[in-house]
Order: sequence, then C-alpha cells, then structure tokens
Amino acid sequence: MKIKRLPLLGTLLLGTLVLSACASGTGADSTQPPADGDAVTNGSTVTVYTGRHYGIEPVFAQFTADTGIEVRFTTGNDPELRERLIAEGVNTPADVIMTADAANIELAADAGVLASVDSDILTETIPAELRSVNNDWFSLSQRARVIIASTDRVENPPTTYAAVGNPEWKGKLCLRPSTHPYTQSLVASLIIAEGEERATEIVQSWVANDPLYIDSDTDIYKAVAAGECDIALANTYYLGRLLTEDPEFPVGIVWPEQDGRGAHVNVSTAAVTANAPNPEGALALIEWLATDGQRQFVDANFEFPADPNLAPNEIVAGFGEFTADLAAVRQLGDNQPAAVRVLSVTRYE
Amino acid sequence: MAILTTNTDASARATAAVTAGDGGASRPLATSVVGMRARSWTSTAVISVVAVVLSVPLLVIGWSIVDPSTEVWQELWATRLPGMIGETALLLVLVLAGTLALGTALAWLVTAYQFPGRRILGWLLVTPLAIPGYVLGFVWLDTLQEPLGARGVRSIWMCALVLTITLYPYVYLFARAAFREQSQRAIDVARSLGCSRRTAFWRVVLPMARPSLAAGVALVGMEVLTDIGTVRLFNVSTIADGVLRVWFGTGDRDAAAELALLLIGVTIVLVAVERLARGRARFTQSGSRSGLRVERLRGARAVAASAIGWGAFTIAVALPLFRLITWSLEAQRTNQTATVSGDFGFHLASSLQVTAVATLACLGFGLLLVAGLNRRRRSGSWLGRLATLGYTVPGPVVAIGVLITLASVDRLGWLPEGWLLVGSFVGLIYALVVRFLAVAYHGVEASIAKVSPSVVASARTLGAGRFRVATRIELPLAGAGIIAASVLVAIDTVKELPITLILRPFGIETLPVWVWQATSESLWVQAAVPSLAIVSVGMLLVAVLLWTLERGAETVS
Repeated sequence: MKIKRLPLLGTLLLGTLVLSACASGTGADSTQPPADGDAVTNGSTVTVYTGRHYGIEPVFAQFTADTGIEVRFTTGNDPELRERLIAEGVNTPADVIMTADAANIELAADAGVLASVDSDILTETIPAELRSVNNDWFSLSQRARVIIASTDRVENPPTTYAAVGNPEWKGKLCLRPSTHPYTQSLVASLIIAEGEERATEIVQSWVANDPLYIDSDTDIYKAVAAGECDIALANTYYLGRLLTEDPEFPVGIVWPEQDGRGAHVNVSTAAVTANAPNPEGALALIEWLATDGQRQFVDANFEFPADPNLAPNEIVAGFGEFTADLAAVRQLGDNQPAAVRVLSVTRYE
Repeated sequence: MAILTTNTDASARATAAVTAGDGGASRPLATSVVGMRARSWTSTAVISVVAVVLSVPLLVIGWSIVDPSTEVWQELWATRLPGMIGETALLLVLVLAGTLALGTALAWLVTAYQFPGRRILGWLLVTPLAIPGYVLGFVWLDTLQEPLGARGVRSIWMCALVLTITLYPYVYLFARAAFREQSQRAIDVARSLGCSRRTAFWRVVLPMARPSLAAGVALVGMEVLTDIGTVRLFNVSTIADGVLRVWFGTGDRDAAAELALLLIGVTIVLVAVERLARGRARFTQSGSRSGLRVERLRGARAVAASAIGWGAFTIAVALPLFRLITWSLEAQRTNQTATVSGDFGFHLASSLQVTAVATLACLGFGLLLVAGLNRRRRSGSWLGRLATLGYTVPGPVVAIGVLITLASVDRLGWLPEGWLLVGSFVGLIYALVVRFLAVAYHGVEASIAKVSPSVVASARTLGAGRFRVATRIELPLAGAGIIAASVLVAIDTVKELPITLILRPFGIETLPVWVWQATSESLWVQAAVPSLAIVSVGMLLVAVLLWTLERGAETVS
C-alpha cells in the first residue's frame, strides 16, 4: 500500500497557518489597543455600534471631514447590539450606540449601559418628547408608521388604526409580522393611547381581517401596488425610495389619527454609552448628527428631522403636513413587553 | 470493505459518512494507534478541558433551567407554543420526506443507470450545498411572487420546498456512497430468487442503504431545526424563530433559553428516531467490492433520466444562479454595488480569512479530540458529545452564549491590559468552532476508523512506534477524508451569518454580512453581488470536496 506524505505535510502546514493566523488575528484585527493606547482614547476616534446602517457611511465620512474625528463602526440588529453592549459592561469599546427604534434604546437604558449627558446643544435642538427623561438617549430622526392605500382602487381609506380592522378590508390588508420592532412599537403606541384591553381588541380586528404578512416594508408597498392587498401599515420613507425610482408609483399615504393623538412615530436614536472610552468624541458625534449633520443623516433615508426647525426633504414634504404622536415616543420601550404579549394573545403572525 | 453500523450520534453518522466517502461505515472494534493514548490521565484531562471550554457557552444558556420562569411558559403555552411546535413538526416532516425522496432517487439514478450527462450530473447535483438557504429563499420568493401571488408564495409548503432543494445534497451524498459500496451479488441473488429489478431495489438495495439514509436525513433535520433566515422569509413560525422572538422582543433571556432547551430536546428525539429507524441493522458485505452493474438506458428512458437530473439541477442551482447574475449585472449598471463598509475585495478577503482560520481551528480541535478519546468508546463518548453540542443549537443562540462567556472572562482581567476577547478575531473563531466542530470531529473520526487495523498491526510488528504509525500511516491514509471534513466545515462557515454578525471584530465584514445589510432593507438587487460571491466560493469548495471524495475512494480501496 502506497503511503502518501502530502496530506501529512499539508496538515502540518495548515496547523502552522492556524497558529500564525490566530496570532496575526489577535494582534491586527481584534484592534484592542493597549490601555495607554493612542488610537481610541485620545479623542481622535469614536467607536459606534449602529443598528441603523442604510446610507450611514457617507454621513460618518462627512463628520470626519468636518471635525477630524475618525469613526469606527460596526453594524448589526438593534437587540443584538444591545445584548453585546450589556455583556461587555465596563470593557466595551463602544462610545456610541445608535438604534433604529425607541424601544431597544430604552431597554439598553434600563440595563444601565447608557450615560446621562448634559449638552445644551442637544436639549435645545431636540424637543423634550424626543429624548429620554434622563437625557441618556436622543432621537435623531422620526419615522412615521402610517396607513398606505392603493391610489387606483381605494377611494375611502381608513383614517384610524382601529378602522384598519373594519370588516370591509377583510382579505385586502397587508401587515408586517410581529417579529419586527416596527410592529411591536406600533402596538405599544396603541396600548399607551387606548389601554391594553382596547389595544388587544384593535389588533384582534386586524387579525380577523386575515392579513397577508410580509416581512419587508418595501415588499408591502409593492404588494399594494400589485393588487395583492388594498391597504397596509408601513413606514413612509420606503415610499420615498420607491418614488425616486418611479414617480408614478400608485400607492398613497393616509395620515392616521389626525383628529386625535396623531400618527405613530418611531425614532432612530443615539446615546453615549456608560463606559465609553471616549465620551467627549461620542458627544461630539451625536451633537453633530443633531445639527450640522442632521440634514444629511435624515435625508439619506427620507425621514423626518428630529429638529422641528428643519424642513423635511422635498419628496418627504410632498407627503403633506401631519400631526405626530410624539407623546408616546418615550414610553414605547416600557410598553414593548406588553405589546409582544398582545401580539401573542391575538395570534398576530 | 465492510459496512458496519454502530450506535452513535446521528450527526456523527452524517458527517462521518460523507467525509469517509462511504455509507456510514466505521469499524468500532478496530484497534489503531491514534487514540491509544486515551488511556493516560493527561490526555483525558486535556480532552475534558477542551470539551468544557467548547460547551461553556451552551451551559451558560442552559443554566436558566435551574430557575424556570413558569409564567412565561404558561403564557407561551396558551398562545404561540402549540403553533410553533406544530409548524416545526410539519416543516420537519415535509423536508425530511422531500430530501429523502429526492436525494435517494437522484443518487440511484446516477449510480445504477447510464444515460447522457450522467457523469457531470453526478457532480452537479451536489452543488446546491454551495447556495445558502437565505439566498435561495429570497431568490425564489421574488421569482414566484408574480405567478403564485404574495400570499401563495409565503407558505410552509414553499418554505419546505426551498429547504428541500437546498438540503437534499446531504442525503444524496450518503445515498450515492452507500449505493456505490453495494455489491451486485446481493441484487443477483434477489433476482435469481424471482425479484424484478424494481423489487430488488425496494427489498434489498434500499434496506441495506437504510443506515446511511437515516444519517443523511438526521443531518437535514438538524439544519431545519436551527434555521432562522429561510423560515422568516416564508412566515413559518418555528421553535428556533420563537427563541429569538421571545429574546429580542421582550429581552427575557431566561425564557428564550428555556425555548432553546426545548429545541435541543427535539433534536434528541430526532436522534433517537434515527437510531430506531436504523434499528439493530448490521450489514456486512463479503467478497470484493464489485459495485453495481450499471444499466444502460436508451431512447425515451435515457431522455427521461437526463431530464429528471437536469430538471433538479435547474431548479436548485441554474435558475437561482441565473437570477443572481441578472441582478448583479443590473446592480453594476445602476451602480448599486456600493457597500456600507469597504469594497468587494475587502469583503471577500474577510470571508476567506474567517473561513480559512475557522476551518483549520475546527480541524485542529477535531484531530485533538479524536486522538485523545478512547477509540472504542469514541463515538459514544459524552465528552465528544459535549464538545460538539453547538451543532444542535441555532447560530444566534451560540453567539449570545459565547458573548456572555467571553465577556465574563474579560471581566476577570486575566488578559494583558486592554486586550479583550469579545469583539476579537479569536473570539469569533472560538464561536465558529463551538458551532461547527461536530462536522470536523465526526469526519476525522470516521476517516481514521476506516484505516484497516491489520495495516496498523503490521507496521507495529515491523517496529514502528505509535507516533510513527500515526503520522506515517493513519493520517496519510485518512488524508482524503480529513480534507473532505475540512471542506464541509469551510462550506458551512463561508455561508455563516448570525454568529459573524454579532461577534465580528472591527475590520471584518464578511460576504454574508453584506448580504444581510442589503436584504434587511429588501434591496435584492444589491444583495446579488455578494450572494454570487458566496455561491462561487461555495462551488469551488464543493469541487474540492468531490475531487477529494473520488480520490479518497480510490486510495482506501
């Protein structure tokens, strides 16, 4: 029997490679600087965990161009970044955490991993409803979750979230599954405004309409355009994106609850972490995003500015003026577990 | 070559059979040198440490069972849990039945019959392994949206179909290996006793391949149970999906951990059923490995055979690939190839770096475990099982377990100042080893078990020391199988998303992370370029796998 030496040699070589790769990996890629290291602690670099990643890089690049402070960032899902920040505790390299949703930042605040910040710039620019009571997180943009309807087929769309459960929409409704934070925070806002019992009834009436669940707002818009459903609940900024591709896109926005509390808005947020190695740099970034960078940050995703004095982008302004349910924003986090419960009880998919 | 079966883990049989290039054969009673040292206390200690280190992240998660939160359970039981269990069971049954039927049928087709394109199809039918389920999922979702409607396409049936065409290669590989190992003699005897060729297949060939088929199906079962990406696309609410739903929706880590334990429980049931299905089957074959007599198909039958093979390949690979290429070209044309961080080369380099190091690390630990564990009891060893537990748990659960573990170590302050495991390259590799070691370990184990004990005994008689026998005879002879096991790990790693997403260090952005960045915003066109890159790397790896298996089959016999 022939004995082949090649595999053996190969194994040995590979083994050496493992060691060298691990070694180089530890040194170069783990990028954990020595305690007295200069890369992170002298203020020239801010480290960001961001759950919002669409179009974020040019914004950070502009910040670096304006201030000379480098941004090092990693992207991920909001809850996972929050878990990572909590697990890392005092050792976290993150100076800033940014989320695409108010509830997740509130849960991080509850876990004690955010720092309370004393900044005149932020308290003057961002309305009180859009930052936490302790000033440990700040909204940077608003995203409204509204009723959307086919402009071809629907003449009298519902104007309240409760009316979406009207039997006339049976089989004609599209919704996002309950796994998504957008759905959870919308239901949390119903609980805040109407109480858990009434919120349960409303969600129950939606479910009774046998909705088509689609886990993508873009696809929900496309389903309404294609006639898969006539009405749906979705965020406005996706329409902004679709309208830039096709100005004739046949779906319109209905601002709900305009005679009452206003349309549900969620926010994208930023916070300085409690154990930030570079808290000054972190604050500088958030202040810049709220002021000089606000325009670019908000417009990158067709959102509404957190700064009420800043007009929305042209396409977004075309959606019309509306009243927003700002009062609920700060309570969304506390009501999220109840929202998940309501969604479970009603068998919302 | 004898076909023996032993009572071992389902996943053990699974990877072992693929990598050893046979139908799950191993020789439990053979004595060899690699593994003899197991009797010493030091090696037992080393192996115990390795097993504990690799299982801590899961034990951390499992710890919650000590203090069960009964309220959450009552609520879940009253609301979603029955539905989750029902959908998980239905999906499992559909995909297991689908992969079993498709994998076995295609394997029999290319093994027993000669028809135009048979040789190339034998290879091509393995290639769905290269396409991640979450990619195949969004391609088919978008493709079938128009003909079936958005409502029709989002169903458990479509989800089962997509999972079936992604996962059938596991069954196909085992079935093909098992059929190849069979000798014509058994069939001839059956035929002489009055069986038709068809009856002989059902009553002789298939029952003899049963252990291998059960092993392949068990592996498919584990993939289905731990899948997150595909089930979400099709609105199927499984237990694995429920773990993340509870965890991330309410932040209730304990309740999520208890659901994860339920998932491990289901896996244990699956393994038990696999053993039952295999029964006490012990098939040995006497005489030389003559192989099956191949029947040449002509005319309409040959055309039909070709059509079936090419049809399966078209649905599973060619059509999705065509759509990905079209989208990629569109992305090029409309300049949508920009990524959040870095260019194409950067992502590719990240992926290759992570895949290479993780594969080698898995291989290293696999060899260590095999060398350290007592050969006779190796496959059933609880230490081996402990070390490879991560394969039965969804990726995000492994990731959070590793996150908690490494963060606790970091807080102890044993490392030099400023050095942290969380967010380090080493931490990421550790997590991937926890998740995928099972694949490497069982592959290596099976390959070394195949080395004939008489060869080892001869070498020892001729005065070779244990180390010399291990390095000069066992490892070289098992080489092909070991390479094949490594390639399987590499294929799994290059497609891996949830662990990399949570634990990657700054400066590492793999191709699947890029896909996620695009698909989480429903930007299918932008997701096409990185998806295509993953598939290309996967295809190369599949080619290496097949080449190794062919060569391995020649060397061993």
